[in-house]
Amino acid sequence: MTLFFLLLALAAGAMLAYRQGPLAVIEALGGAVELMLIVLPLIVIAVLMAAYAQALIPRDLAERWLGRGAGLKGIGLATLAGTVTPGGPFMAFPLVLGLRGVGASLPICMTYLTAWSVLGIQRVLIWELPFFGLDFVALRLLVSLPLPLIAGLIAQWITEPSRV
Amino acid sequence: MLFAYLSVIALLIVLASLAHRDAQIRHTTVSGQAWQQIAPLLIRLPLALLAASFLAELMPQALFARWLGDASGTLGILAASVMGGLLPGGPMVAFPLILVLERAGAGTPQLIALLTAWSCLALHRVLAFELPTLGWGFVWRRWAATVALAPLAGFAAAWVLMLKG
Repeated sequence: MTLFFLLLALAAGAMLAYRQGPLAVIEALGGAVELMLIVLPLIVIAVLMAAYAQALIPRDLAERWLGRGAGLKGIGLATLAGTVTPGGPFMAFPLVLGLRGVGASLPICMTYLTAWSVLGIQRVLIWELPFFGLDFVALRLLVSLPLPLIAGLIAQWITEPSRV
Repeated sequence: MLFAYLSVIALLIVLASLAHRDAQIRHTTVSGQAWQQIAPLLIRLPLALLAASFLAELMPQALFARWLGDASGTLGILAASVMGGLLPGGPMVAFPLILVLERAGAGTPQLIALLTAWSCLALHRVLAFELPTLGWGFVWRRWAATVALAPLAGFAAAWVLMLKG
């Protein structure tokens, strides 16, 4: 992956120099360095914070919690759990497997995964906030709040249309 | 950006002091795990940002402004949802690319639709994690349940921005 980015940067830089001259390359380079100085320290701090969150929240706790929840209460719990689940897919998917194992319904799992995808605090703090700033993040989170519920209801309708 | 720094640092302090009181959690183990995640980023991310910065200059900005700009409206939100669904890679690939689009003049509702589609459909995640662990039956149902969410988020964002004026 590192090689891929290196080649991409070289190719794009060469193309830019060819089409708009070396001055444009230097200008773009300056922009990239500036962005890096803002973004990189923030990402490092956020990753460290996420590592602490992962150490503090044990996975089996979430499984026990969500396995029993059903109906609207379950969907609310699943949304909350998805939002605060730290870690990447290597954390969330084993958890969903565990949830299925302890008998959580499909809509609950869908709600959980959707909440983790669109509301997940960790991705917001590590990636979105440094790149796009607070105004954008706040607006996106606001409009994404109902999405896990909608996904859960559609999943319910797909699996058991009679119970909606 | 100052607020972003302050909030992340505050969270770090709270979590670290909670962990400090927990006898089972050792600071060296935690920072070791964090380092494992950060180390590859330190080289890749600057390269990704550099590539994104060059690409932003090369993009035909007028074309993007027309397709995904604020004035592109409903059609732009739908186009962004499709693009986001097809966007490969994890956050390290996706976020610099999306930043390129923002600099090329994409509108906020369109960017939100794109991000939502990318995080919900997530082709890369499906292939690497979801399909092997949960199987097709789960994947297609989840897609069916989430495919409409990205345009929904885009329309809602456009509506909120309109109310704000």
